[in-house]
Amino acid sequence: MNKLLQMENIERHYETPAGVVKALDGVSFEISEGERVILLGPSGSGKTTLLNCLSALDSPTGGDYTFLDNEVPRNHSEKMTSFRRENIGYVFQFFNLLQDLSVVENILLIQELAGKKDPFRAKELLKLVGLEAEIDRFPGEISGGQQQRVAIARSIAKRPTLLLGDELTGNLDTETSNKVMEVLVSACQQENITAVFVTHDEGLVKYATRVIRIDSGKIISDEKIDNSDEEA
Amino acid sequence: MSNLLNKRLARSLWRTKLRLVAVVMMVFVGVFAGITFGGYAYNLGGMYDTMQADEDGGSNLADLWIDNRSATWSPEKVNAFCDSLASTWASSTAPSFSLDSCEGRTVTQGAMFHTNDTGEHIINSFWHGIPADANADRVWMPEGHSEGRTAVADDEIVIDAHVTEALEIELGDTVNISAGNTSATFTVVGTGYHPLHVIMAPEGTLFPPEPGQYVVGYLSDTGMARLTGNAVGTSNTIVLDVEGTPSYDLPDTQEYEGEEIDAVKQLVDISLESTELDARVRDRGQNEPVEVMRQDLEGAKKMTVPFTVMIASIASITIVLSLQRLVQSQSKEIAVLRTLGVERSSLMTGYLLAPLAIGGLGCALGALAGPSGMNGMLDFYQDLVGVPIVERSVPSSVYLAVIGSTMFVVFLSGAFPAWKASRLDPLEVLSGQNEMRVGSNLLRKLTSWMPTTLGLSIRSSVRKPIRLTMTFVAVGISLMLFGSIQMMSAGLQETMVGGLENDQSWDAQVYIMPDGEQPVIDWAENNSANYEMLIEMQLGSVADADDIERTFTVVGLDSFQSGMRAVSLLDGNTPTGNMAITQVVMEEGCMNFLGWNVGEQQTVHINGAPYDVEIVGTATAELARTMYFLRDDLSGILGVNATSIYLELPEGVEIDSALGEASAGVVERQTLLDGINSILDQQTQVFQTMMYLGLLFTVVVMFNTMIMNVAERDFELATLRVLGASTRSLGLMLLFESLLIGIIGGIVGVLFAYGGAVGLAASFSSWQFFFPVTIVPSVAWQLMSGVIIIAVAMTPFGVWRLRRMDLVEKVKDLSN
Repeated sequence: MNKLLQMENIERHYETPAGVVKALDGVSFEISEGERVILLGPSGSGKTTLLNCLSALDSPTGGDYTFLDNEVPRNHSEKMTSFRRENIGYVFQFFNLLQDLSVVENILLIQELAGKKDPFRAKELLKLVGLEAEIDRFPGEISGGQQQRVAIARSIAKRPTLLLGDELTGNLDTETSNKVMEVLVSACQQENITAVFVTHDEGLVKYATRVIRIDSGKIISDEKIDNSDEEA
Repeated sequence: MSNLLNKRLARSLWRTKLRLVAVVMMVFVGVFAGITFGGYAYNLGGMYDTMQADEDGGSNLADLWIDNRSATWSPEKVNAFCDSLASTWASSTAPSFSLDSCEGRTVTQGAMFHTNDTGEHIINSFWHGIPADANADRVWMPEGHSEGRTAVADDEIVIDAHVTEALEIELGDTVNISAGNTSATFTVVGTGYHPLHVIMAPEGTLFPPEPGQYVVGYLSDTGMARLTGNAVGTSNTIVLDVEGTPSYDLPDTQEYEGEEIDAVKQLVDISLESTELDARVRDRGQNEPVEVMRQDLEGAKKMTVPFTVMIASIASITIVLSLQRLVQSQSKEIAVLRTLGVERSSLMTGYLLAPLAIGGLGCALGALAGPSGMNGMLDFYQDLVGVPIVERSVPSSVYLAVIGSTMFVVFLSGAFPAWKASRLDPLEVLSGQNEMRVGSNLLRKLTSWMPTTLGLSIRSSVRKPIRLTMTFVAVGISLMLFGSIQMMSAGLQETMVGGLENDQSWDAQVYIMPDGEQPVIDWAENNSANYEMLIEMQLGSVADADDIERTFTVVGLDSFQSGMRAVSLLDGNTPTGNMAITQVVMEEGCMNFLGWNVGEQQTVHINGAPYDVEIVGTATAELARTMYFLRDDLSGILGVNATSIYLELPEGVEIDSALGEASAGVVERQTLLDGINSILDQQTQVFQTMMYLGLLFTVVVMFNTMIMNVAERDFELATLRVLGASTRSLGLMLLFESLLIGIIGGIVGVLFAYGGAVGLAASFSSWQFFFPVTIVPSVAWQLMSGVIIIAVAMTPFGVWRLRRMDLVEKVKDLSN
């Protein structure tokens, strides 16, 4: 598999009145195309900070981060936004769908902002996540699980290279979580999208091909998982 | 506990300093404006009381004026009338007031021959002959604002203090003046004021010419006799003073208040008949200079209330919106407090106290600055009319009324958000259900054909319809302040200057004594000047629908269309002469007030006698209530050939002393225009202050709305930023929203402004002043584009906020 991104000795330090807080302290790893990586760790371990750095929402204070062999912009809001627009899809814990737009319009908006408006694909994606019947409904009219599936469709609507999710099932019950993850895995496979999810739910490991455990800003384990049976 | 809660709320408010300052400023401006207008009206009233007072320092304004400008009465005639009146009065039980004085005097138009660096000038003038022992209508000579003493000898004159500076006249100077065909020299012994000349406007006009272009002088009765060549005591006016002030009808009210003075008038009519005096009788309400100033004062008082209410309304809408937004942004905090057991009443107290504290601060600042505003307006008024306003103070009743009503409005505006805060359901808030809502299907259908970003902008803009409506109402009220005055001014400008500037071609209007036209015609022919005779007298009267007598000017012209004074017809035709029933054109203000229509026959009184006339047309562009006749028809009614002559002067010909001596006064059209423009400019300055106040409010309201729109949309804007939307594309969305709000706000503003202009015009219009309202397209466009520019100018703030949005923090919020 081709290398998608590489982080080398990444640091994210914060100056606080109490001293320097090392949210990330020398994190290094590579992610290849097609992987589904889960970042696991307790609260305050630095996993969300790592996700923020991966998505170029945040700028590391040290280390190198390359994406498809290009250095990822840092400390420049517009360039970072542009990087996200071209490469990253994002799924939030609370879905964050726009309440004034219908389900399909939520997807079309992201396509439009990325300059890739494609209503046909938007409908296809809704079919992919099993929501073709809800196309013209508003987010407030569908369940939490359905909303998260719309969020997944939205996140891949512009064909991102990397899909990121922060506790994306944290607001759902177990059954719905599993359904959402199944949809996600299926979508990633069909669209050939690499995915990185932050969670503290060990139960989601079964949907990953790799698990990176993190604590106190450092990677404490990085293991590949064979979930071929699960996928089959 | 509740102290801590209030402290928490205070700190939250402090976090929105900019909006807080905007609200405080609004309350401040409201109170400032209220105290300024209230104090202004109060002190103006005081000025008239001081000036008109029946005491040593006052002028003792007469209660009735009995006059005939086309005749003179011998001293014997005047004495006979006064004796007759005294005896009639003594034998009557009708008037509850006693007669204080009955005095004859001569008042006349004239000219002053004034020489300065630029040569000799003939200045249109008005002369009073006031006996040294006069009781009523004396010269007012306030200490510190006038000089010298009243005229006693036959060669002494007091010059009105309005003009002494412009003409550089000092005590001891000699002035050469004329009245009709005679002239004489007088020594200036004093400067002072007169209650009939508070505004230095010639009779029949409301606009004072430029300073020094119109002179009023006060001679002694012997001085007047020397000037006119008549016997001492010869009069054309009798002034009556009654003990106390009998009520008289106020022409600008629907009610009839003139019963008391009517009782006096009845006695006067009896005496006029018995002494065979032909005269018009006017009370204070019918004496234009007195009534104009009373209405001006009433206007100042009237302005106080609506302007303060409008300003307070905008402030209260801003406070409601701001506090509501505060409650919304604090909903989680409030929910936690409620979950922890904080009582509703404790929460509510804070949200009720907050606006009171904000209002209190604004009121305190407004109360401190108000007197300066009042003094500024009084200074302006003093400069405008040239009469000193000696005593100035803001009564505590004004402070109480303004601050009390403002605080009440502020309290009410805080009550709703306070109630809402106390009613928040903790469970709903903490589970996020209060954030959930279902979009509008109608809006979705309406905007589905648009690009999604555009559709989102529209849906976001109208997401909070009540708030949006309140914003538009606030913008509308702000623009009512701004636009209605502008629209009214435009209409006024059109009426005042339009007719005189565009429809009339004369260069000079030469006033003449009865049958005195020949010397002026000779002068015109000798100087190759075109001339046109006209009759113009304020001798018409008619009873309105409420049976109140309304006076108007009658004008007789040789031609309505090709003459030097073309009449601008709104509808109908010009009159045909020598008809069985005299045909006339009536000015639109008269038609409006009287409810008359073209084609109707009406009975009016001209110089006291009834005449039937047929209204064949409506004229516009005239401030004074006027009825136009063909001159021959009017001449037949009045028995006067002409009262003045218009002249068109050829190149190089100027008015000289020969013409001055042949006339009873000369007015140049350019002087008149300059005077009108000057007064309109001055009025515009006052209006502009209010207009800019309205504009400032529009900016604040729009700014407040934009801040709230952007702040409220942090959630979705952050989501879009995280998902890769560029600042530029989000900025375009905000720009479109601003445009949308601006366009709707502009339309609402124009409608409010027009409504306000109609309301203001209706409120200020009276028989004396008729304000037509015209929508000048440029004004409407100005308003529209103003609001749009303001709205669009707020977009950079939203973009700035977007740029400095900490996405890491926002993502944390979005994930919690």
